[in-house]
Amino acid sequence: MSVVTVVEAAPEPLPDLDTEGFWKATARGEIALGRCQSCRRWQHPPVERCRECAGPTAFEPISGAGSVYSFIVVHRASVPGFSGLLPYVIALVELDEQPGLRLAARLVGVEPSETTIGQRLQGEITEVFGSEYRIPVFRPVATLAP
Amino acid sequence: MSTAIAGIGRTEYSRNSGRTTMAMAAEACRGAVADTGLDLAEVDGMICFQAAGDSVGPLAVSQSIGLPELAWSIDMNGGGNVVANVIATAAAAIEAGLCRAVVAYRSLNGRSGYRFGTATGKLSVGGPLQFEAPHGYLVPPQWIAMWAKRHQHVYGSTCEDLGQIATTQRAHAVNNPHAINRTPLTMDDYMAGRWINEPFRIFDCAYEIDGAVAILIVGRELAASLRQPPVWLVGSGDSQSGRGWTEWDDPTQMYSRYAAPRLWNRTGLSAEDMDVACMYDCFTYTVMATMEDFGFCEKGGVGEFFAKGQATYGGDVVVNPHGGLLSEGYIHGLNHYYEAALQLRGQGGERQVPDAKLALVTAGAGPYGGASVLSSEEP
Ligand SMILES: [Zn+2]
Repeated sequence: MSVVTVVEAAPEPLPDLDTEGFWKATARGEIALGRCQSCRRWQHPPVERCRECAGPTAFEPISGAGSVYSFIVVHRASVPGFSGLLPYVIALVELDEQPGLRLAARLVGVEPSETTIGQRLQGEITEVFGSEYRIPVFRPVATLAP
Repeated sequence: MSTAIAGIGRTEYSRNSGRTTMAMAAEACRGAVADTGLDLAEVDGMICFQAAGDSVGPLAVSQSIGLPELAWSIDMNGGGNVVANVIATAAAAIEAGLCRAVVAYRSLNGRSGYRFGTATGKLSVGGPLQFEAPHGYLVPPQWIAMWAKRHQHVYGSTCEDLGQIATTQRAHAVNNPHAINRTPLTMDDYMAGRWINEPFRIFDCAYEIDGAVAILIVGRELAASLRQPPVWLVGSGDSQSGRGWTEWDDPTQMYSRYAAPRLWNRTGLSAEDMDVACMYDCFTYTVMATMEDFGFCEKGGVGEFFAKGQATYGGDVVVNPHGGLLSEGYIHGLNHYYEAALQLRGQGGERQVPDAKLALVTAGAGPYGGASVLSSEEP
């Protein structure tokens, strides 16, 4: 029997015509989301035509500022590519651009035990493990004491 | 026309069946028909559900049990979210005159084969999940833990509240010889369980198993001629949303915020009328959120409801007398229909709910699911 070394790669995105703008933006180092060019609403996941008014959409950069809406601490390696990172934090990030506009993303620069709902975050671009693709992650930002 | 569950069948449940989904489906389907005394050749409809091609469809299964053709069949794509729809659609097909006797089945090697809670291999993920999968965020025990955390934040529910659900259902499974996990579980045991995805511990997650369940549904005329007491389908309510696990506006509520009023309006019944509630429990939090939505208790009150014994024998309603997916095992929710039928037939044995006449069966979680009310009396 030969010993096979398995190198874990994270799942890769499979972009299509409606979503490729997101991945082109991250390749440039930007976070961009689909936005209606008529009513100006942001939409994620992106669609060719606005869900609200059927107007044309285009990808526009977002500020990357948001806050933790909810989060989990992942302890079990349920998805390939992450066993070396356990435990890691995944958050639903509510973006400042629009109420209810959310990205699910990994948090960086924070201990699981220090993560809280409402925590302020700033997005940045990082690699998808074992892939050419790049993706936004979020890092807590210091907020002024009240 | 009224429709009823006339027969039920199932295989042994195990961690490693050593059998194909075809072999198990055939056994369960034959069992459901034999249960009633119906001539197998009378079965003219078949419906199943499967996800990611993890099972075998009605054409292959009907052929394998000696039915050369079917008047009606559907191979539905989905998980727990479509179970109530499978039952309702079978009943609707009978009511529409498309067929007379339908076997609905689910067969899966959920532990030894394709596991829903674990993704493996080199994956390329399209659709809405393409933005999340590269973060290692891709499977139900993550999505539903995320929702549970929000509920804890908004309503102050706790891990102990989830533990009340897990320990109560385990206590029920102790009296169920068919359950895969019958070891009593204390709150200390629960709290000592290893983390899967905080706030979920191992005991918050369905117990993945291999096996098959089949449910035979017929119209009134046929039901009257069969061996077992019919278990009547009083009504169904469903809700499926295209808003996924990230977009859904309020994770403290599930599909049931829409399906529950539909079901109660159609049946003229309410939570307090139910003797048995087979609540879909892929995770403890699914029971919590859906019990609130179906009106068994106030938001944030489920932990106390269980702690005070209202969800067990002698209380308001017996929740998952078989132990549910958490303890009997994960036959993707069709085993909840099996249990409800058994209870309403008065054949629950040691775990029989006294005078059980009405049962709620729910299936699904998050944005997608449905429910049925079953009755021992013709509606
Ligand atoms: Zn628009």
